[in-house]
Amino acid sequence: MELLAFVFYYITPYIAVVVFFGGLAYRVYRWWKKPPVAAHLSLFPRPQSRLGRLLDTLVDMFTLKGLFRVNKPLWLGGFIMHLGLLFVLVGHIRAFTDFYFLWKLLGWGKEEQYLFSAIAGTTAGTLFTIPLFYLLARRLSGAVKWLSVPEDFFALILLISIALTGFHMRLLHHVEVEELHRFFAGLASFRWQPPPTSTGSSFIYHFAFAQLLMVYFPFSKFTHTIGSVLSKMVARS
Amino acid sequence: MLTKFIETMRQRISRPLQYYADICVRCGACVEACHFYVASGNPAHIPAYRMMLVKKLLQQGGNGRGILDWYRETGRIDDQTVTEIRHALWECTGCRRCAVFCPFHLDTGLLVNTGRYALLQEGLGMEMTAEIGNAELSKGEIVDALKEFYVEQVRELEGRLREEWGVPDLRIPVDQAGARVLYVPVVGEHAIIPLAKIFHAAKENWTLSLFTATNHSYFVGDIPKAKQVAHWIVDEARRLGVQVIAYAECGHATRTLLQYFDHWFGEELAGIQRMSVVQLVAQYLAEGRIRVRPGTFTMPLTYHDPCNLGRNAGIYEEPRALIRAVATDFRELTPGRELNWCCGGGGGMIAEPDMLEVRIKAGRPKVEQIQRTGARVVVTACENCKTQLADLSERYGLGWEIKGAVDIVADALVM
Ligand code: HEM
Ligand code: SF4
Ligand code: SF4
Repeated sequence: MELLAFVFYYITPYIAVVVFFGGLAYRVYRWWKKPPVAAHLSLFPRPQSRLGRLLDTLVDMFTLKGLFRVNKPLWLGGFIMHLGLLFVLVGHIRAFTDFYFLWKLLGWGKEEQYLFSAIAGTTAGTLFTIPLFYLLARRLSGAVKWLSVPEDFFALILLISIALTGFHMRLLHHVEVEELHRFFAGLASFRWQPPPTSTGSSFIYHFAFAQLLMVYFPFSKFTHTIGSVLSKMVARS
Repeated sequence: MLTKFIETMRQRISRPLQYYADICVRCGACVEACHFYVASGNPAHIPAYRMMLVKKLLQQGGNGRGILDWYRETGRIDDQTVTEIRHALWECTGCRRCAVFCPFHLDTGLLVNTGRYALLQEGLGMEMTAEIGNAELSKGEIVDALKEFYVEQVRELEGRLREEWGVPDLRIPVDQAGARVLYVPVVGEHAIIPLAKIFHAAKENWTLSLFTATNHSYFVGDIPKAKQVAHWIVDEARRLGVQVIAYAECGHATRTLLQYFDHWFGEELAGIQRMSVVQLVAQYLAEGRIRVRPGTFTMPLTYHDPCNLGRNAGIYEEPRALIRAVATDFRELTPGRELNWCCGGGGGMIAEPDMLEVRIKAGRPKVEQIQRTGARVVVTACENCKTQLADLSERYGLGWEIKGAVDIVADALVM
């Protein structure tokens, strides 16, 4: 076990980062290599001007308004999940550095910072996690069942696992961000530091699952993160 | 099994198709979009399932027993797979309603188009449509030999119409150099008669094409052939020196004209405008070049947006302008415009006698939608839709009158 933990603390993170970025680059390269379609794949109506079409794409990306029009329950689940995810990702900046500027601006000390993170983090995590269960449940019946392959369950369960181990730290432990900063700075500079202890036992699981997600990401439907931009643009071309 | 299909598909997969295959999250937002699925309940008709089937075949590696096969659900290819893929790729009208529903706008029409070509290499289905495509292709080579006969037929029609309408100076020019508008009809007099009337009233300097707009190679995804067929018309337009190519009320042809031609022919089209004849007639009306009797149609009337004119080409307003000019009780369909239900008869299925039952069934959402409006006259602007709507009316016993958008203008025209 000791050895396994060591591997996930100090070895695989590098692999995960390389595979994540390398994989995404490979994915885009693979798309690029294919011949384009000699046609406009536009869907109408669409905004007239180029700028209008770009803005419409962006608005659709952040609001999923197209989905809202045709499927409200799915929109609600999907939108809240992605919104929660966005907040959670922003919050994770604190694991690597801190919003020093913001705290200074607000004049907040350590106590306030911690309280704010606790409330914001828990809220964001909840927004992210609850819809994941809904998205999982809807795959068990009806027409979506026809569409569900093991891959789909894996993706959702992986995200749920990351979320639950995250909650474990957030709710049951008082995490010292300085500890995390030291640990990640060590990884980045190849001058390894001891793993954080204030996080309790779930950190290693959370960290390992997150690495698994990074490795899996470029080779799965998670690539909709970048691909959706292309397909949305093409439909408005 | 299906080795030729897989091989062809691998060669023909395009950039968008590749990322569509990669990013579909199988969320199911497209399920209720497809009239085939709504009418049949067959999973092979779910847009995303069509993609899953193709993907499954493309990923086919081992014997279907490995862990990766379990994970991707790439089982063995058997008769069941063949049946499913045939349903999935032939029973689609390419209407792209699912692309409007999909949050990423994944274009199942494009998938089906490419997949059909690959299936044909396997000898599976829609040979009739492919054959008509071949006939259209060879027509270009023998058109000079056909010309005399065609012109004779048109003269005969011209004489008949002169008498019928009492317009002795009516002309139906064919192959006329120096004309402004090249009108490309579909097969049959019905595509020429209303336009002969309208062009005469508008005093247009026009000419009839020796070709027809239809392009069946496009339906079976044989894009190089489709391009060559379309090229006959571009050649003709350049030879005659026209400024406008106007296509008859024909959905798929109009889509190729407006969405494919500039990619296909680029510079060759310099100085030539392309439009649906519906747009041209709407121009005449807006410019006051023709006059119509308002209130010619007083019975409840609705307009069916052909998928290829509506969401696939953006022609929404022009047909409505024509209708409003001549009808008093115009009722919109709901859902309408880009969410309008497909008639269920597109994608080349009309040419296949075997597919009659499938398309009659797939037309059910359309039937229900039109019934809700209480319309007695159904106006549309696509040859395929007209045939399908007429078949639906007959089979479901609805007694609709089916009219083209230019037909109602011709009926109401002040000569
Ligand atoms: C530009 C960014 C993104 C956009 C526009 C986007 C959009 C969407 C949309 C429209 C759906 C389908 C409907 C739904 O379930 O809401 C979806 C599904 C999904 N997204 Fe994203 N997404 C983005 C980024 C991400 C990221 C970064 C992740 C995870 C790390 C993610 C995870 C998922 C998952 C797991 C599903 C599938 C839900 C299911 O199984 O039903 N997305 N996304
Ligand atoms: S709506 Fe789009 S992403 Fe969702 S299952 Fe259908 S094709 Fe895939
Ligand atoms: S293009 Fe139309 S017919 Fe084909 S799958 Fe999509 S909704 Fe169904």
